[in-house]
Amino acid sequence: MPNHFLNALLILCMMLLATISQAASKLPNTVKVDPAALTTEPMCDPKISPAWREAQEIEGVKIEASPGCSPDNPAWIAAAVKGTNNISMDTLMKTGLSPDAIIKTDDLDGDGDPDRIVIKLEIMELNGRSPDFPGIVPTFDIAPGIQPGAWVFAPKTSGMSTENFESVRANPLLRLPSPVIRVEVGDIVQIVLENTHYFPHSIHLHGVDHPFSHGEHGGQDGVPQTSEVELMPGERRVYQFQARQPGTMFYHCHVQTHTHLSMGLAGMIVIEENRPNNWLQTLNIGAGHVRHPSVAVREQFDQEYDLHYHAMDKELGDIIQKYNDPRLIAREMNQRYDITDSSEDYFTLNGLSFPYTLRESLIIVEPDQKVKLRLLNSGGELIAVHTHGHHATITHYDGVEHNPAAQIMRDVFDMAPAQRLDLKLETVNDGKHSYGEGDWLIHDHREKGITTNGMAEGGSMSSIVYKSYLNGSGLPKVSHFGIDLSEYFTKEYYEKRYPIWQDLDEWASLGSPGEYEGLDPTTQASMLNTLYGLLIGLFLYLIFAKWQYIKECAHAAVSRLKSPKGGNQ
Amino acid sequence: MAKTTIITFFLVAMLALNSNAFAQDQAKKTDEHDHHDHSGHAMSQDKHDHSGHSMSQESGAAIDHASEHGTVDDHGHDHDIDHSAHDTQATEHGDMHHHHHMDHDHIMDHEGTMIMGQNLDKLPSSCKSISEEVEITVRAGRKYSKNFPGTAFAFDKQQWNVKPCAKVTFHFINEDSIRHQFMMHGLPKYLYKYGMFHLEVTGPKTVSGTIIVPGSDDTFLVHCDISHHMEKGMKAQLVVGNGGEDIPSIPGLTPYNRNDRYEAENLPKVSDKSSNKTEKNLISMEMTEFSNLNLKNYGMMLIGILLGLLSIPLFKKISFHRKSD
Repeated sequence: MPNHFLNALLILCMMLLATISQAASKLPNTVKVDPAALTTEPMCDPKISPAWREAQEIEGVKIEASPGCSPDNPAWIAAAVKGTNNISMDTLMKTGLSPDAIIKTDDLDGDGDPDRIVIKLEIMELNGRSPDFPGIVPTFDIAPGIQPGAWVFAPKTSGMSTENFESVRANPLLRLPSPVIRVEVGDIVQIVLENTHYFPHSIHLHGVDHPFSHGEHGGQDGVPQTSEVELMPGERRVYQFQARQPGTMFYHCHVQTHTHLSMGLAGMIVIEENRPNNWLQTLNIGAGHVRHPSVAVREQFDQEYDLHYHAMDKELGDIIQKYNDPRLIAREMNQRYDITDSSEDYFTLNGLSFPYTLRESLIIVEPDQKVKLRLLNSGGELIAVHTHGHHATITHYDGVEHNPAAQIMRDVFDMAPAQRLDLKLETVNDGKHSYGEGDWLIHDHREKGITTNGMAEGGSMSSIVYKSYLNGSGLPKVSHFGIDLSEYFTKEYYEKRYPIWQDLDEWASLGSPGEYEGLDPTTQASMLNTLYGLLIGLFLYLIFAKWQYIKECAHAAVSRLKSPKGGNQ
Repeated sequence: MAKTTIITFFLVAMLALNSNAFAQDQAKKTDEHDHHDHSGHAMSQDKHDHSGHSMSQESGAAIDHASEHGTVDDHGHDHDIDHSAHDTQATEHGDMHHHHHMDHDHIMDHEGTMIMGQNLDKLPSSCKSISEEVEITVRAGRKYSKNFPGTAFAFDKQQWNVKPCAKVTFHFINEDSIRHQFMMHGLPKYLYKYGMFHLEVTGPKTVSGTIIVPGSDDTFLVHCDISHHMEKGMKAQLVVGNGGEDIPSIPGLTPYNRNDRYEAENLPKVSDKSSNKTEKNLISMEMTEFSNLNLKNYGMMLIGILLGLLSIPLFKKISFHRKSD
């Protein structure tokens, strides 16, 4: 009976051995992600009316065409040029701005444009924690599904901070980057900061000619260690200046700058040359294409673009998504966050990362144009912006014109933190200024600059696109090369869940590998080891159980050997 | 007799447990009291008493139009607002231009003072007549967050009660120098666009608006919708009649749906600092402090155990007494 049992066990072991070792001969199959499983967004934001792209005139303000897929709201431009105090209620209602957001009055020098400019800025949080539901509010996506905690200077708005009561998406005026401010040399400018945020803040006007202290308003360099105390929540402060020099400058919060700047409290401010009848687009919300350029820019250029490069650390932005109590956020940011151990994860151009840069930060050109590009780097590290297919001329460094005879052409523009460059991009097809028409990339050539939290393609990458390479919805025409950009417009791509090369060939040779059918090699090895162990155990058991028998057998054998002839009797 | 002893014991235990909570509550009340003392001006007014107030002459659309004349010092009759914070006044009214947007439910002036969804005369279908006419003064500002640690903005009260079918005029006083809103949600949509009633004003300034509340018991969310003002404390509720379900995360009134995690911090204390002790002494002091703390905890536990043991015969006695009864 025990013999039968043992035999059965042994046979079973042999069979198991056979099957286990057989399974290892084939690698797992490729698993292809079904496009239907992806959260695909329309490439062009359907909420933005295509009619906004056309050249038009509102409230007597001429607004240039902007053929990209998400152009600025023309009502914003009209309000920014005329002032919210000089437009009809109808236009104002289309902007969402507060009626006192931009006040323009008094032509002091009699040259046909207003010279007293009051700009009201509020400070808004984006993508912060809610104590009511497990989401964030108000949401702002820099790329599909990417919602970093951020703070911005926002033009003073009217009404809700979200699109409507049902939505958690931010009002379109509340967005990254902080708006570009444009004023004229000689304007008496008041930037009124209304601190609607729960932390203290300030404004430092980097590069702008401003008095260190103003008789009425006190110190105004924005620095809590030199010129003024922190502006507390609920308070208001006026920064007044009358700039004597033009140039592309920078404004940012100077309270706990190492975190507040990176959080998004940074924007471009342009002082334009004084010209008669120079009605400026005081705010360029979302930066990018300037659809109502100044007189001086129109004298020399066909187009103007504001390009604001920024970088953010995910771990820093996460703090406002982890806590609601301002004391906890303050402790976490001021005492526990260590910028010397940090790394930047999000790289944005005009507040957005690729592919959203294609919606609103394309530089759309035609052959033989002169285009003015104003670049600002508000990130924490040096960047190296490369223009494919073009060499551009650096005309100004940090707002100051470079000696025209010594101006140089480059195709990589290195910019230290806070640095500004004015470029002249000439689309002349001579093999130097331009190599001809196309959809030419413009990107930060530090390779992490084209990633979003480590996932390429993302970051601040955009394009210089010739109109002949633009499709009907204002995006670069790439389908004739067999290129499909739709995978970038899914949040799964940036969640790093999409095998990016799966569609390069029919059988997805570089797709996602599945799992072993049956057993994978490591389990297999351990199973084999167990089997061997079992066999050894069985053997030992046999020896132990049959010890008496074995002993007798051995004795018998030995005695037989000892008496060789006895057995044969 | 036995029962009363048990009950007394029970009560004493409860008292001991709650004493901490009581102490906290009391501390809060003193705080509030202090606050009113400090504020000196009309803060201590009853909410219905605002006779001196420029708003109350009109029951309806009463944006404070004092600034219409473009004068620099235009807040003279917001008598109850602290003027000390007014250093930026001069910049405000350089413009003489006005926007007065009026349709049936949206009124806005050139400074963005806004009344939306006002209802002066349309009775809700659940009402036969107006039950009462009330005027409620609501103050908003950073200083009201003082009573609620961990918030940044607040209203002066977190709940207002009115009768069903009441005609309520809100005088919304923004005491900060920024925008605030008094935004109410969930009202009947056939009377109020999007079910909303909304007052908005940049302070320090007042705006007033009137609504007629529905005839059934209900509770309505009131908040400021400026990014993170509600999340950071500016949230309240209007209770009609006996009210409906409470709104969550109203400071001091209702619990938060999602709570932050708090942990003690190693903050410097005066007791750590001693001028004429060497570092060695400091360390030994810290060590004794540490052990003292532990001793205290264990000692308390020991006392508890002893008490428990001692009371056993007592309980036995009680049950014995009951039997003999």
